[in-house]
Amino acid sequence: MSMGKFLRYFALLIVCTSLLTGCWDRRELEERASVLAIAIDQDEDDENLYKMTVQIPIPIKIAGSSGKGGGSGADAVKIMSVTGRTVTDAANNLQMRLNQRLFLGHTRILALSEEIARKGIQDIMDSFRREPQIRRLLWPIVVRGKASTLLEIKPRIEPIPVVFLMGLIENGMKLGRIPDQTLGDYFNQTSNLTMEPFLNYVEASKNEVSWKGVAVFRGHKMMGILDHLQTWALIQLRNEKPGGDIVIALPKTKNGYVSFRPHFAKKKVTIQDDFSATFHCELQGDIVELTEDLHIPPEQFVTQMQALIKKEMENRAKKLLQQLQKQYNSDILKLGLTLRAKHYHDYWKTHDWKKDFRDFPIRVKYTIKLRRLGMEMQ
Amino acid sequence: MNRREGHGWHQTLSMWQQICLITSTLIGVGVLTLPRTTSSKLFEAGWIAPLIGSAGAFVSLWLIVKLSKRYPGETFIEYSHKVWGSARRPWVGKVFSLPWICTYLVYLYFSTAVVSRVFGEVVVTSVLLQTPLEVILITMFLLVLFLCMHEVEVVARVNELLFPFIILPLLFIAIASFQKAEFGNLLPINHVSMRSTAEGVYEGIYSYSGFEIMFVFFAYANQNTNKELAGFYSLLIAALLYMLIVVAGISVFGYEELQRVTWPTLELVKSTQVPGFILERLESAFLAVWVSAVFTTVANAYYAVVYSLRQLFRKGIRFQRVVAFVLLVPLFFFSRIPQNITEVFKLASLLGLSSLVINLLFPVVYWVAILIRDMVTRREGRNVDG
Repeated sequence: MSMGKFLRYFALLIVCTSLLTGCWDRRELEERASVLAIAIDQDEDDENLYKMTVQIPIPIKIAGSSGKGGGSGADAVKIMSVTGRTVTDAANNLQMRLNQRLFLGHTRILALSEEIARKGIQDIMDSFRREPQIRRLLWPIVVRGKASTLLEIKPRIEPIPVVFLMGLIENGMKLGRIPDQTLGDYFNQTSNLTMEPFLNYVEASKNEVSWKGVAVFRGHKMMGILDHLQTWALIQLRNEKPGGDIVIALPKTKNGYVSFRPHFAKKKVTIQDDFSATFHCELQGDIVELTEDLHIPPEQFVTQMQALIKKEMENRAKKLLQQLQKQYNSDILKLGLTLRAKHYHDYWKTHDWKKDFRDFPIRVKYTIKLRRLGMEMQ
Repeated sequence: MNRREGHGWHQTLSMWQQICLITSTLIGVGVLTLPRTTSSKLFEAGWIAPLIGSAGAFVSLWLIVKLSKRYPGETFIEYSHKVWGSARRPWVGKVFSLPWICTYLVYLYFSTAVVSRVFGEVVVTSVLLQTPLEVILITMFLLVLFLCMHEVEVVARVNELLFPFIILPLLFIAIASFQKAEFGNLLPINHVSMRSTAEGVYEGIYSYSGFEIMFVFFAYANQNTNKELAGFYSLLIAALLYMLIVVAGISVFGYEELQRVTWPTLELVKSTQVPGFILERLESAFLAVWVSAVFTTVANAYYAVVYSLRQLFRKGIRFQRVVAFVLLVPLFFFSRIPQNITEVFKLASLLGLSSLVINLLFPVVYWVAILIRDMVTRREGRNVDG
């Protein structure tokens, strides 16, 4: 190799090594304070201030706790609270108390207290919309009481509370019992003119957290909650998810119960010519529990149970519609979307859905298909 | 014409290379905003815009192909004075073709500045927050400069090589995001007027321009290939991809939300869940791959400028290299002119308007000029005969 060629390659090598080292934004993992969850409350003393609580894992403790075999699990995270006039203000105040730069790219949970959710969260959401680190897939959750309690739980099954909570939601989603409502969904639903948003609603105690249903919003304001039974009816009618087991008291028995586990849900919405809607929902599933023997032939048993479950589900749906229409006046069923899509000229253009949803006639018809009886013959 | 022939690469671009060249130039930063721009006027029916836009683009591209067929093996720069001048007085053609050539080159030159600026903006706002914009611009320009050191054949091969890196991520994002799609958002399609359809198509016009580089590159297409078909296929690929990405955007977000996000396609990437959470924060990976898409847009246009200048002054590759380097300096400053993001978008839509002028006006005017010439020559020929 001639000298000139050697020099040329050497220069190329230098240029490459100097250019490929990285950039201004290179930041090692341990140089970041990764926030796993954010909770936003109203400050107790000053009504105009927000209190932001964050959960930051301590890497060294997580690595250590597995070796020691648990016990000190609660110490694996640091929980810090700050106040501020806005979310960004609070985050700035937090940064002043941290040795590393705050990093929101791993944030998975955004807990909001019921109090501020009822006041409206538009101002809070703005900074989450703008911040590029924030993932649209994170889960906003409304917490009964103070939102910070959700971050302070000590579940002990997992060293990091947020991981426990994520597992709880993710599992519920896979089972089809907890709706998958991400931040992105919330943004889309608030922007969309035809629908209203909702968020999961949980209650946290000292050591535990429990999913309670969903919080129904109108615009950015929380209007009220749906308990788990109504939520399951909602996700059957809205998301075609099966929801949880349906436990019904058996009529004409002392203390007998039957439990039906839906496996598949299918729905169809039809709009009649007189502008009324009918939700047809088909549930397929099994009997998983029957606490009292009814002494009837199997064919008769199946039809009887189907009728019983149908009646129960239609009642639940009726209560759901009653709450959504009359109490909260919030269309989280995506009915408005169907109306706009299919009846734009003859209905949507001449009506104000935000007002007219309240009195729109809606019927729900369930079809129950009881497929199996579990491992038991009768 | 045969002055610079010596090279063996002349007229060698295969059909596939032509397709890659056109498609990869078309697909660039426009895609990142396309769902928003098209649905701003067309609402739920935003996906119609790329179809109409590409159909319009095809008319223009077809005229460019016809020009290139009329003067085989010659670029816009070379045939311009034949169009405007006469055989007896060659200086007439040179003088009259100059304004057209200059406009064309200035347009291409500025379009590279705007495209690289838009890309710089998206990188700086979404992934590399601390990195100065200038660094991203300079690295992009250095890449472009490197390409300009080579002959046309290399450009075609680079485009061919990068083509899958442009198509596949887009396809992947569009298809993967359908798991969250809400198809009710795409209806109704029949409530927009003709006027807003036209406006909607215009809003996204920036995305279906870029094929004007073929004024230059068609000269090197293999004579046995069907250039019309190459143009048709490349516009078809781009139109389908655009349509897919707009449909994905509208069905996932709804047109109302689309109006609120600056980079809808990037948000689409952000809300796409990869099963198993193997890749988190996919948008960084997407943008990293997207560099190649932007590079092909910027580099092809800039190469066309530099190469045209080389032809205009009848110089060789050495001249091209020097010009490529020298012109990058003002380009860097031009790309820094817009002071904020709204000015960037304003400039981008201005670019769209000028591309409309270049792409429709130029081929039409040239053809009118040629037809008039033909008529005159025929008459003169008859006079001589008689």
